[in-house]
Amino acid sequence: MIEVTDLKFEYGDGGRKENSDSPFSLQVSRLSVTAGTSAAVVGPSGSGKTTLLHLLSGILIPGSGSIAIGEFHPAGESDSARRRHRLRNIGMVFQNFELIEYLSVLDNVLLPCRIDTSIPLTPELRDRARELLSHCGLEHLVRRNITQLSQGEQQRVAICRALLTSPALILADEPTGNLDPTTSQQIMNLLLNSVRDQGATLVMVTHDHSLLNQFDQTIDFLQFLSSPNARQESQQ
Amino acid sequence: MKNTLFLALRSLRWYRGRATTIVLCLTLTLWLPLTVRLLLNQFRTEIVSRAKSTPLVIGAKGSRIDLALNALYFDTLPPDELTMSESHYIQDSGFATAMPLHVRYRTQSVNQVDGVPIVGTVLEYFEFRDMRIVRGHGLRMLGDCVLGSDVAESMNLEPGDQILSAPKNAFNLAGDYPLKMTIRGVLAPTHSPDDGVVFCDIRTAWIIDGIGHGHQDLSRESVEEGVLLEKEDGQVTASAAVLPYTEITSENVGSFHFHGHEADWPVTAIIANPDSRKHQTLLLGRYASDRKEKAQCVRPFRVVDDLMSIVFRVERLVQLSSLLSVCVTGLLLGLVILLSIRLRAPEIRTMHKLGCSRGTVVSLVGTEILLMTLCGTLLALAAAWGCSVAASDGLRTLLF
Repeated sequence: MIEVTDLKFEYGDGGRKENSDSPFSLQVSRLSVTAGTSAAVVGPSGSGKTTLLHLLSGILIPGSGSIAIGEFHPAGESDSARRRHRLRNIGMVFQNFELIEYLSVLDNVLLPCRIDTSIPLTPELRDRARELLSHCGLEHLVRRNITQLSQGEQQRVAICRALLTSPALILADEPTGNLDPTTSQQIMNLLLNSVRDQGATLVMVTHDHSLLNQFDQTIDFLQFLSSPNARQESQQ
Repeated sequence: MKNTLFLALRSLRWYRGRATTIVLCLTLTLWLPLTVRLLLNQFRTEIVSRAKSTPLVIGAKGSRIDLALNALYFDTLPPDELTMSESHYIQDSGFATAMPLHVRYRTQSVNQVDGVPIVGTVLEYFEFRDMRIVRGHGLRMLGDCVLGSDVAESMNLEPGDQILSAPKNAFNLAGDYPLKMTIRGVLAPTHSPDDGVVFCDIRTAWIIDGIGHGHQDLSRESVEEGVLLEKEDGQVTASAAVLPYTEITSENVGSFHFHGHEADWPVTAIIANPDSRKHQTLLLGRYASDRKEKAQCVRPFRVVDDLMSIVFRVERLVQLSSLLSVCVTGLLLGLVILLSIRLRAPEIRTMHKLGCSRGTVVSLVGTEILLMTLCGTLLALAAAWGCSVAASDGLRTLLF
């Protein structure tokens, strides 16, 4: 389902990432994830894992090379087409949760329906949101404002939002990073169930090597670092 | 739209401090010009309706505006006086009913309420203004008065009570004395200047003015020593020791008399009610030619129209300055909104990452601005309306 070939990406502004002073470029010669499987992305911090997820979702556009998400080629599409594709087919869990502070827990989960008319806010979808929150142990917090939640609870709300529309592709950026081992496993189960039951494809960035055996595939970013020196630097 | 509205309302509730400040700024900026406009319209309606219901006013030569406002509102300084002969002239011409007005004096304060104008007139005036008595009865004899509804309420007076006139000059021993008038009735509210005055017969007003008076019968034998200076062939000359009556009762009313001829006694204005348009034109013609040197005849509606054109010229200046302040506030609010959008950049970025279109973000921010503008406008309208309601009674008093 996901095919990445000869991908080259460099941030604008002299190749600097946001909030970073050092130049950054990502080069991926080849990467493939089969539809309906799960892939863990591991690698040192700053190696470009989050950037890869943003490229796969169409938030960023590669400088060269190709990305194919099934039949969809983000690089060749307009911004609005990529936006529509992202909203309807991709569930994203961001590293810093990206929740809206003025909305309640339930409204944050239902946000994809609020920002695009193509996903109507049906009673079924509301039930699904409540069900997901219940799976994550947040059923008692549905009316609570997002700012009143702990980091771990916010993380789970972000996961629920990503799974709301039962997307074909789930891109998760360290979704278990702020969770205790038990809750972490619950979240893993939730994500892997989506792969197993709905045939979704999961690409998840993680630093937790104990989880790797649960994935069908592991993508180690060390292989994409451009020079042996950089590799060594990253390993240190 | 429903979702955008939902998100906008949630956002406004969350950033309520900022939203409230913007709404209040807008409210205050819009409130002033709206209130000025509403109050002036109300003022115009009130003053024009009173002027329209008064066909002609005849008065001494001088300011047309003073004359019209004195005859209509009783509250400005009276112009120079006419004599009653002018009223007789109008009545005798057969063109109109003449209703002389004498508005020079005020009552004394009652229950810590300032005195109000005393309007001396004739019974035809009550008919002309369609005024009716709600308590007590009308004027029956010299010294009687009836109260406008506001006067009765504010001074807490009822039929049977008494009220004193205020002398123009307390040190003028030979002049006007305070007259204790008996309140015979209270008029129904008319929501006009008639509610704020005391009405009496024009002869009573002349007595207040010192033109008529009553005192002890000096022809009797029992007059105290020192009061009579000379008594010869029925001609009596009294000293200053003779005291005039300060109250007119059924016992002493016979002693009240006037010196001179009625035709020479003063009136401040005469309202003329012509029985036809033709007679109105003829009367206007007389005062534009034959009687041009003696008096002036004005159509209050025209005078008020001229007055309003001045007022509305001033209003245009107010509106212009308000428009400038609206522009400045608009620019400042634009700046505040732009800054707040910058502060909300992470939220907008999140929406974009999730797949939200720029159009949706624009419509979300636009809806918030629209809601705040709507709230500000509605609040300003409500405040302006509230002000106009609150000021409706006091408006005339405020401006005249």
